[in-house]
Amino acid sequence: MARPAGRRSLAVRASATSPRLTGRPLRVAVVGGGPAGGAAAETLAKGGVETILIERKLDNCKPCGGAIPLCMVDEFSLPLDLIDRRVTKMKMISPSNVAVDIGRTLAPNEYIGMVRREVLDDYLRSRAAAAGAEVVNGLFLKYDAPQEPNGPYRIHYNHYEGIKGEKGDKRTIEVDAVVGADGANSRVAKEMGAGDYEYAIAFQERVRIPEDKMDYYRERAEMYVGDDVSPDFYGWVFPKCDHVAVGTGTVTHKADIKKFQAATRLRARDKIEGGKIIRVEAHPIPEHPRPKRVSDRVTLVGDAAGYVTKCSGEGIYFAAKSGRMCAEAIVEGSANGTRLIDESDLRKYLEKFDKMYWPTYKVLDVLQKVFYRSNSAREAFVEMCADEYVQKMTFDSYLYKRVVPGNPLDDIRLAINTIGSLVRASALRREMNKITL
Amino acid sequence: MASLSQIPSSLSFSPKPITKSTLNLLPRRATLSFHPIKSGTNTSTSVVSPPLEAKAHQEKKEEETASHALVSPGTNATNEKKLEVPKRFKDPRWVKGTWDLDQFVKNGRTDWDAVIDAEARRRKWLEEYPEATDTDEMVFFDTSIIPWWAWIKRFHLPEAERLNGRAAMIGFFMAYFVDSLTGVGLVDQTSNFFCKTLLFISVLGILLVRNNEDIENLKKILEETTFYDKQWQATWQDDSSPDSKK
Repeated sequence: MARPAGRRSLAVRASATSPRLTGRPLRVAVVGGGPAGGAAAETLAKGGVETILIERKLDNCKPCGGAIPLCMVDEFSLPLDLIDRRVTKMKMISPSNVAVDIGRTLAPNEYIGMVRREVLDDYLRSRAAAAGAEVVNGLFLKYDAPQEPNGPYRIHYNHYEGIKGEKGDKRTIEVDAVVGADGANSRVAKEMGAGDYEYAIAFQERVRIPEDKMDYYRERAEMYVGDDVSPDFYGWVFPKCDHVAVGTGTVTHKADIKKFQAATRLRARDKIEGGKIIRVEAHPIPEHPRPKRVSDRVTLVGDAAGYVTKCSGEGIYFAAKSGRMCAEAIVEGSANGTRLIDESDLRKYLEKFDKMYWPTYKVLDVLQKVFYRSNSAREAFVEMCADEYVQKMTFDSYLYKRVVPGNPLDDIRLAINTIGSLVRASALRREMNKITL
Repeated sequence: MASLSQIPSSLSFSPKPITKSTLNLLPRRATLSFHPIKSGTNTSTSVVSPPLEAKAHQEKKEEETASHALVSPGTNATNEKKLEVPKRFKDPRWVKGTWDLDQFVKNGRTDWDAVIDAEARRRKWLEEYPEATDTDEMVFFDTSIIPWWAWIKRFHLPEAERLNGRAAMIGFFMAYFVDSLTGVGLVDQTSNFFCKTLLFISVLGILLVRNNEDIENLKKILEETTFYDKQWQATWQDDSSPDSKK
């Protein structure tokens, strides 16, 4: 769907024209050691590329929903003990508290995996190290562009030995390509002039609730929609290993995030009563890809590139997948590390990623535009979620990242029901406007 | 019914759906305190047994004045506390998370208009005073139980009447003008391609542009549909780099 606008043929054999490297393999620096960086580093190292992974905080406990789809467990061969909880029931709650349970169509072996980011990130990094990548504790500062067309990038970073309160030791290394996997506030993106994106602020409180209340959330996650919890996103209660995460987010009204959080807590009040807030965290979520994702031999993956879906705000899987795809393109373009790569190889990764996941992103964008518009649209949304066909399609596309066309008759019925729901909700809205309480 | 329905529109200076910026209850309380009398007249618009409605409003009025007193010191702390102690939605016909249709029977048949009104009021209430969800009594009311013809009768028909009226007026005057300018009579106009195109455009216009705001809304929607695509393709726009010579 996203065809390169210039439409120049990018299907070239890079290895035919790029210079062969003599005496050494291709060197690539992966900046950032989250899912994107870890996956990229592992694939690069396995492909014979000399990889260095620079991560600034090896024990980083990231504020994140932590939900991963089933396909990620398969595709990345994740051990099942990484997953703290398997969410098989989800409750969608409308602005007027209409509650709908989704998950009835899930097979017994299907679930949404909830992980702790520090555990997942560490695992992927250790796999990269085992494959031969050098994992370094350091903070990327900047890079110097090459002096000549095939020259190296010189990376400046602060090296840490792991001593508390250390200032760090300024070091430089020379590499042939840079993969920016350093997240939403990517420095690599800034260095390469990738441009900015709009982002949402996700605000979350981790609450330890009494055991009997935790029972309710054992396999259940909740999503609250409404103008009170967020004008353009949703509020959530996600179960973690031994506590729940209560949070919300917004793009357009960041200053009111505390109010939205209070409203989310209010909506879930009875279920989290008596809980103690053990941590408060916030982080930015990109809303769309950066204007420029590749520049010469520097490219971006994961949150740094802006690969977060709309509507659900899912990013972990796409980060890891984009990291892997980027690394695969580099390995292929360099013929397993024997030749220098150039921008066209990295563009191949972009093309492949865009082509594969564009339908998913677009569908979620349309869903967000249609159903997160207003309270009446959200009421219609929750009403639609009660439909089994909708649940099946939603979970299929989320868990396996494939948009399977269903029975056309069912699709027509779905379309009619959707329009019906929206029309009824907006008719009620017009009645509501006439009422003054 | 028609004359009564005019009253609320002139009174409805209360803000439309929660202005996105805020859960700010303070100003809302202020506006509500002006209403006690008017909300009384409001009740007669809905086809609901008056005593029930009046009682509900009575309760609310008392709570409102009480809470207004609480909130007027206007400190943040009291505001926060207000959020913690909301007034729950109560209605005798709202039973265990749904509307009890048996209580809406009028003349032996279910009064769907009343159900629509009741649900609208409930949603309005919850929008103004969001509530904690209750696990014991989860709400599961689905608007699709209200039959399609009830919706059409209530909402579609008046709008259809309005639009058809506009179409008729525009049609008549357009036919007149075209006739006076070109001498082509009505019957001949209907077989002329240009006139048929004009007709098509005017019908589309009437359907799409019903209020002044619709023109802006339509433009925005058009832009919105392609905005995300443009953001994704941005990285391909700068294809002027020399790499493509390969």
